[in-house]
Amino acid sequence: MAQNVRNVSPVEEVTSTRRVIAASSVGTLIEWYDFYIFGTLAKIISEQFFPKDNPTAALLATLATFAAGFVIRPFGALFFGRLGDLIGRKYTFLVTLVIMGGSTFAIGLVPGYKTIGFFAPAIVFLLRLLQGLALGGEYGGAATYVAEHSPAGQRGFWTSFIQTTATMGLFLALGVILIVRQTLGVETFGEWGWRIPFILSAFLVAVSVFIRMRMSESPLFVKMKKEGKTSANPLAESFKQKDNLKMVLIALLGATAGQGVVWYTGQFYALSFLQNACNVEFVQSNFIISIALLIGTPFFIIFGSLSDKIGRKYIMMAGMLIAVIAYRPIYTIMYNDANLKNKVEVVEKKDVQIKNAVKGADSLITTITTKTFTDGTTFKETVKAKFPVDPVLKAALTKDKLKPEIKKEVTLPKDLYYKMIGLVLIQVIFVTMVYGPIAAFLVEIFPTRIRYTSMSLPYHIGNGVFGGLVPLISTRLVEATRPGPGLPPADPLAGLWYPILIAAVSFVIGSLYISNKTNNMDVD
Amino acid sequence: MSAIKRIFGLVWALMGVGIVPLVIKQAMKEIAAKPSEENWIFWSIVIVVLMPIIAFSLITFGVFALKGEYDTLEDI
Repeated sequence: MAQNVRNVSPVEEVTSTRRVIAASSVGTLIEWYDFYIFGTLAKIISEQFFPKDNPTAALLATLATFAAGFVIRPFGALFFGRLGDLIGRKYTFLVTLVIMGGSTFAIGLVPGYKTIGFFAPAIVFLLRLLQGLALGGEYGGAATYVAEHSPAGQRGFWTSFIQTTATMGLFLALGVILIVRQTLGVETFGEWGWRIPFILSAFLVAVSVFIRMRMSESPLFVKMKKEGKTSANPLAESFKQKDNLKMVLIALLGATAGQGVVWYTGQFYALSFLQNACNVEFVQSNFIISIALLIGTPFFIIFGSLSDKIGRKYIMMAGMLIAVIAYRPIYTIMYNDANLKNKVEVVEKKDVQIKNAVKGADSLITTITTKTFTDGTTFKETVKAKFPVDPVLKAALTKDKLKPEIKKEVTLPKDLYYKMIGLVLIQVIFVTMVYGPIAAFLVEIFPTRIRYTSMSLPYHIGNGVFGGLVPLISTRLVEATRPGPGLPPADPLAGLWYPILIAAVSFVIGSLYISNKTNNMDVD
Repeated sequence: MSAIKRIFGLVWALMGVGIVPLVIKQAMKEIAAKPSEENWIFWSIVIVVLMPIIAFSLITFGVFALKGEYDTLEDI
């Protein structure tokens, strides 16, 4: 272990470990930030880079790009994992950071579809793939690097700081977007302001690269290299040897798959559900998620540390089981609390404003209806209808082309707002239970010589593929319950069946086949 | 406990095998009913990415479990 390699006092070792954690965490946090601004701005990106004729197709195209970003992650895990086991952890996750920062910065500079046509979505797609590739290499490196610096018996605690970075990255992404949007105004943000969070990444990455350049290589890797014990072919050793493949499979099916869907449901799906199913206003919904994330984040460290004492398995499995049982009731409450059908309108407060403007060859009629309800909820519906001034053009257009653009926004009163934060926070706690101990769990089941490669793949398949597809599959499941075009879905909670099923299977496999990890495990 | 692990191994392997025709049948049905771009994108992702991963991992894991490879894994 680390203390055998370095001849330092316990105080110096703690200081050194803290420095390692800080340097690793900052870089990983920035990578997550880079990755999530794309997902968080999915709607705007679809408007900017994909043809606007069919908004659903545009959104799905973006989600597909989003999924591509996730699906490519396992390939990044293999490519950079192999490099990390061959040349070292430090340089590998320095490279991933630069690729991620460069791609994010470039997305912020790509001209829109209106300017360069098909090249716009093609370039964005390629850059998104690069982001996924870089992220695939980052996490395994950071977790391995920190774990290999941590003393036995405290690995859950120290690696849990790396575990906070994914949530903090999302929090940072939401925060930056909200600040920029509030500063510039909604219209300007939609036109060009959305580029700022992407461009800002260049500065964050530059700072992080500077910090990481000053870090030393993992002591275990240095020792192994000196002794000539590094793997000649980490990929073959990881996945062709039965003894290791067994571990990869159990890590995937019994832990990371379930953890991945719980993670994405508690954070991304919750936001998407608030905005699309409950129509909660953009800023308020983002605040609900951000506050819940902020309050919930320390629990990563609490559960990571607890896993050193009572074992990794019990905490992770409990998180999955409670999530499986509680998702439907939680989302039912969320949906009912925001559902206007359950509220009584104060009719005398209803307000309707109609604006008529001529924009180019179109006459644009905007109708804004505001309703207030007895519990303090307000509802704003903006309907934008385009009518061509030219009667010939008007006659030539189909009904679909003349379809009005409708935007619904529900603003919740304080008590329901806090209740929503509480309901999302419960889901974030599930996330911290399954995710807090998982880095230590993964690090401990694979040997040092192939650790980077072996742990990265199940992690990124679990999170990237199983978890990353939650928005796409859940949206699809809800759409399947829609009785007809334009009608509301019969079961707005149908999207939960996917994470529930995957987490349930993972729980059964993990409970049966994984034994409870104790605090005296050593990594060698 | 080893017996339960092995019996469940058969369950996982069968699940892995069963998922392939199930997904393909559903995809064909939905695409035939509405051959839209979004349908194609969605089912391509499911069939090319998700399904092979689930099928391969469940079958391999199931076979290992059935053979008793996980009977004595006390260190994981």
